[in-house]
Amino acid sequence: MAPPQPQQVNLSPAELSFLRSTLCQAPPVRFDHTKGPKDFRSMRAEYDVLPGANGSARVALEDGTEALVGVKAEVETSQWRPSPDARGSALAPDAEMRDAADDEDAKGKGQNSWIEMSVEIPGFRDDDSLPVFLASMLTESLLASGGLKDRLYINTRFHWKLYIDILLLSPPLSYPLALLSMTTHLALLTSRLPALKSEKDEDPLFDDDWDAAVFLYPKSKASASDDKPPVIVLAMGVGPNIIFDPCMEELAVADSVLAIACANATASSTRARIVSVRTIDPPSHLTPPGVPNSMNSATGGTVPASSAEALTQRELLANSGVWTPPRGGMKRGLISQVVKMVVEEGGVAEEVISALQAIELG
Amino acid sequence: MPLDTSTYSLALLRLDGRRWNELRNIHAQISTQAAADGSSYLEMGNTKVLCTVTGPAEGRQSGQRGGRDNEAKVEVEIGFAGFSGLERRKRKNDKRTSEMQHTLETAYSSLLLTHLYPHSTITLNIHILSQDGSLLAACINAATLALIDAGVPMTDYLVACTAASSATSAESDNSDPLLDLNNLEEQELPFLTVGTLGRSDRVSVLIMETRVRMERVEGMLAVGIDGCKRMREILDGVVKEYGKRFS
Repeated sequence: MAPPQPQQVNLSPAELSFLRSTLCQAPPVRFDHTKGPKDFRSMRAEYDVLPGANGSARVALEDGTEALVGVKAEVETSQWRPSPDARGSALAPDAEMRDAADDEDAKGKGQNSWIEMSVEIPGFRDDDSLPVFLASMLTESLLASGGLKDRLYINTRFHWKLYIDILLLSPPLSYPLALLSMTTHLALLTSRLPALKSEKDEDPLFDDDWDAAVFLYPKSKASASDDKPPVIVLAMGVGPNIIFDPCMEELAVADSVLAIACANATASSTRARIVSVRTIDPPSHLTPPGVPNSMNSATGGTVPASSAEALTQRELLANSGVWTPPRGGMKRGLISQVVKMVVEEGGVAEEVISALQAIELG
Repeated sequence: MPLDTSTYSLALLRLDGRRWNELRNIHAQISTQAAADGSSYLEMGNTKVLCTVTGPAEGRQSGQRGGRDNEAKVEVEIGFAGFSGLERRKRKNDKRTSEMQHTLETAYSSLLLTHLYPHSTITLNIHILSQDGSLLAACINAATLALIDAGVPMTDYLVACTAASSATSAESDNSDPLLDLNNLEEQELPFLTVGTLGRSDRVSVLIMETRVRMERVEGMLAVGIDGCKRMREILDGVVKEYGKRFS
């Protein structure tokens, strides 16, 4: 029914070549020429948009792509899993006391299966590669960033199950990972769970006052070092330059694309942390190559006799300005440069996370 | 949750404090999304629906691109968001959804001037963000607004409303029909969804899935059609308000 890939840009080889050469300049001239290499596209964002969800957010980018995330939590019974440690405590005479101590500290008790994420993109089936890949990347970074799953622990018999439903409302014009991640971040940041009134291993009883509900990501006075959900930024390498938050046209000439999930600084680390990094196959690999004059019989060249010959000739013409789809991955030096730009003080990670925080503060 | 509908006859007020012929609070926007050809957002009480229109465009399927007889094909996709209901549930391709899709497809195929766009497809994507009764009516109203935003020519607004019969026993003949139901009322009372063409009395969509006594249907229909007329005024106001921005 739908094309299996995100929509391709319809640019000719000459246009692609032009776009690439402008992006390779120092400093790079971007598709939107008012932006520098680290500038993000402007967006409109709002949160708490849905009455029936624990947390929700909607973000629309300036190019018209729009995402909506709803977070819903349900109480589920935990499966009893015997562990050597727990059995020892049950047999020991001071079991009561140890139980009490455990309640204080839910650390390490969360399970990955307590968070379920689904991504819906119009025109794509649930099991198409794009939604599945996006969902797994978002889940992966969320689980890797630590504390969330432990906060879903209620007591030994019950836990919260968190459903995160991500809806892309528009067709996926550019690679939507960064947009979905920012929307999820905002939704999780504003999600609240009803306050627990029961104690220890009683059947859970909750405060029915929504004003008393506790935030899923607790807030303290020094809000800068609170635990916050991770956010994924896209960085693309083109020639010697690094460009953040590429738009659709820029992605079409990327040498390589990195998705970097970063979390804010916590008490233990002074600077923003990187939670996970992934390379993404850029759509530029699928663009059609241009035909140089020397290989075109209509312009006085000679058409290569075999495809192998054509390949060697193209190899020689790599820097001639005739468009050839980029090959290979990202250079090590470039990766370390990207990482540095993300985590440094006042870097991209800090900027994005504090910008999203500012939305919530109003 | 059992609903005590018998309290209605005491004060003639419904559970949410409305009179029998009152609509819920309706809020609508058009052109909400820059990337779509047409888009709309509609709230009827706590029912929230978002609709985007793509096309008229070349069909995505390799086989038949348009509809029959050189007319455009109308495709409708309805997606229930996992968080839309009271409990989180995934709904994909169940019978109720496909019936709603079919209802919208047939209604709009006859309403839109599809002969102007041979070999093309008009795709309606409807996202249900929050459900609280009158779902089909909300979908129809949102789709109408989105199609107007997309500039697809049609003869008149297709607007819809729900109406129910509040009678609890067979003897009580003096019961009022109720207009624009919420989820609780929908579970308890027999109701129908009626869609009409603008100001006229021409019924274009009529669906009733519950059983009700024959005599009551006429009253329900009358109230429903009356509600549709008011709904048309509201939607028309939204469209005109939007148009003022360009004048």
